[in-house]
Amino acid sequence: MEKLVFWEVEYVLFMTDFKKQQLSYTSQKALNWYMVFEVFLKGTLFFPCEPDRGLVRVHELTPEKAGQLIWVRARIHTSRAKGKQCFLVLRQQQFNVQALVAVGERASKQMVKFAANINKESIVDVEAVVKKVEQTIESCSQQDVELHIERIFVVSQAEPRLPLQLEDCVRPEGEGDEVRMRARALGPRTTTSQAIFRLQSRVCQLFRDTLTNKGFVEIQTPKIISAASEGGANVFTVSYFKTSAYLAQSPQLYKQMCICADFDKVFCVGPVFRAEDSNTHRHLTEFVGLDIELAFNYHYHEVIESITDTMVQIFKGLRDKFQTEIQTVGKQYPSEPFKFLEPTLRLEYSEGVAMLREAGVEMGDEEDLSTPNEKLLGRLVKEKYDTDFYVLDKYPLAVRPFYTMPDPNDKKYSNSYDMFMRGEEILSGAQRIHDAQLLTERAMHHNIDLEKIKSYIDSFRYGAPPHGGGGIGLERVCMLYLGLHNVRQTSMFPRDPKRLTP
Amino acid sequence: MPMYQVKPVFGDDIKTDLPTCMYKLPNIHAQRSASGCSEHALQNGTEVVDPAFRDLEVRQDKIMRRLYELKAAVDGLAKTVTTPDADLDQTVTSLSQSPTATSFRGTADLDSLLGKDLGALRDIVINANPARPPLTLLVLHAMLCQRYRVLSSVHVHSSVSGVPAQLLSCLGPRHADSYVRQRFQLGFTLIWKDVSKLQMKFSIQNMCPIEGEANVARFLFRLVAPYPSDPALATLVDSWVDTAFFQLAEGSAKERSAVLRALNGALGRDPWLAGPELSLADIACYCCVLQTGPAASSPANVQRWLKACENLGHFGPANPLLQ
Repeated sequence: MEKLVFWEVEYVLFMTDFKKQQLSYTSQKALNWYMVFEVFLKGTLFFPCEPDRGLVRVHELTPEKAGQLIWVRARIHTSRAKGKQCFLVLRQQQFNVQALVAVGERASKQMVKFAANINKESIVDVEAVVKKVEQTIESCSQQDVELHIERIFVVSQAEPRLPLQLEDCVRPEGEGDEVRMRARALGPRTTTSQAIFRLQSRVCQLFRDTLTNKGFVEIQTPKIISAASEGGANVFTVSYFKTSAYLAQSPQLYKQMCICADFDKVFCVGPVFRAEDSNTHRHLTEFVGLDIELAFNYHYHEVIESITDTMVQIFKGLRDKFQTEIQTVGKQYPSEPFKFLEPTLRLEYSEGVAMLREAGVEMGDEEDLSTPNEKLLGRLVKEKYDTDFYVLDKYPLAVRPFYTMPDPNDKKYSNSYDMFMRGEEILSGAQRIHDAQLLTERAMHHNIDLEKIKSYIDSFRYGAPPHGGGGIGLERVCMLYLGLHNVRQTSMFPRDPKRLTP
Repeated sequence: MPMYQVKPVFGDDIKTDLPTCMYKLPNIHAQRSASGCSEHALQNGTEVVDPAFRDLEVRQDKIMRRLYELKAAVDGLAKTVTTPDADLDQTVTSLSQSPTATSFRGTADLDSLLGKDLGALRDIVINANPARPPLTLLVLHAMLCQRYRVLSSVHVHSSVSGVPAQLLSCLGPRHADSYVRQRFQLGFTLIWKDVSKLQMKFSIQNMCPIEGEANVARFLFRLVAPYPSDPALATLVDSWVDTAFFQLAEGSAKERSAVLRALNGALGRDPWLAGPELSLADIACYCCVLQTGPAASSPANVQRWLKACENLGHFGPANPLLQ
């Protein structure tokens, strides 16, 4: 009895009209069975029962649990009242289950009305009996069970008007992209977004695991740097006490210094900032870069093999363990499954040019590939070899940066390579020049001010091993693996020339 | 302290060889063993070696070597006699498993067969199911490697989760030059994939994919040697190839025994299936016969012919996959 008085007092302090009305209808019994809990000033949640009640996850609700009385905490996805019954769909991350409140010995008519009026997206605690159903429920992930609710409590209420409807989020793209980007606390609740970001987290984990098993060391490189490493056009400037500094475009300079410091094989995962004013489907101004650099023994193909093997291990890990997530994404954004070869296919640039010429494209031997040509080449390779992932080796020297090692056998070409997924470039890498003299010559050839890169050249003066590497963008790799069309769908809080919040 | 001290008259100590034994007799035993074993004469340290003796040794070595050479030649000849139309050099060197340095067909031939060279590696892509490895194609690959510079590579497609190790190395060891694709005339890429029928892709603009092991074998054989110009003989070759792949490899037990009887009959008349020379028909039938059952269970002529095929040495690559 004291407990009831205590609640009543608190309720008088915090109640809204809705609850006042409710209290006039309810009896003591009903109060115990359904109500809205207020969060006290101290922020603790108050329950009228033991705090060590076990909660069952929605994806564990299977016919084996039929007949058991369990507690579930989930969100209200949809609710539909029909006379004496109210059907609810309870959702927890990617899984949902149908629940039923029916007038009977445990539930009163007011309880059914209460359940039907709970706002969508509110978090509720439900005590229910698991019941097997004969007809499978197609619209839910748990298709062969149903919950018959005995008690329902609202833990956290959502506002009645949501900035977007979650059904709109699950429709194929186009409408609502803008709104979806803004309400980032809401949009990723959809099953598709959950699947995408879980897959992305797994990509990062597989990257780390594979490289650590190969003996790589993870390093963290600084993002506030004093000089723009490549051209000065694409860097963000920040004010740094009395002077200004730049946000790092790529960790390459520091990766190379670590190789010269005898770490032999390094990788780093961190943000990369590119101030490119390109509003395309695959460019962001800030993204997560996964970079690799390693010293090799005899030929730079060892670097290519190491990188492609890492990528293949990532693809295999996703293919073997994450099929549910891939299928979930495929329901909203259908695409072909990702195919690859092991060991990875390696074509030479001249072969690629020959294939393009055969298909009717006119281009010079030393010309760079434009984006449409890259896509066409990707389609031709897919048709001949049936792979979405391949390496194009031996790019012409003229189109690569000054620190790329030229090919010793043919001075028109260089020891550099690009990797493509579904016809779009994901990695640009090369063997780096490790000789200070040659580096100076190439920099002068490219008309670069030697003063600006003096510290870079200095790092190779004290015995640098031959090395090479490359870097990929996490968001772009996920987007291309799943066959999505916009990199903003794989970025939790995307940044582009027009977007700075959330 | 001595009374007188005299400076030494002669220099430092002179080492004198003091004898350790009073009387010395010549060793009776050593002499006997020195005359006994001719080979270890020098090892014993005694210098008493009869020059005539040494000549005898040398002559014996020479005779033994010639004997071994003759034996090898006779073995080779024996194989040649039982194997019709065999090249002596090939059978002898096939024993040592080294590739023969045959004459190279120039790229002009490839241009006429495969179309104009566009400056890039001409890559033949074959998609095969690892449950049914194409032995005929492996044999033809070995023959191609002898004629041209071929860059061979094996890949596993993502539709297959794993293949046994011998399927990964079925095209032989990696070529030393394989990092420069341009140095090769022809590319041979074998992809183990989950396909229902073997498939070959060469030029996607001008050719549709070729399906079926028989047809791909015909394509590859034409790169090695031309089909017989006599149309009747060419048709005979084709019909044997089809028989091998359709009835022998995929047919029921009754069909297989019928084909073996037909083979027996044909091989009674001629040493090879289609005339006096080895042809694609023999390669195809050999692989299919051995895939269906062990060699011992076939009729007499067929067994003789199987032995003859093995002696030729072309079928080396297929053997590890037959076990």
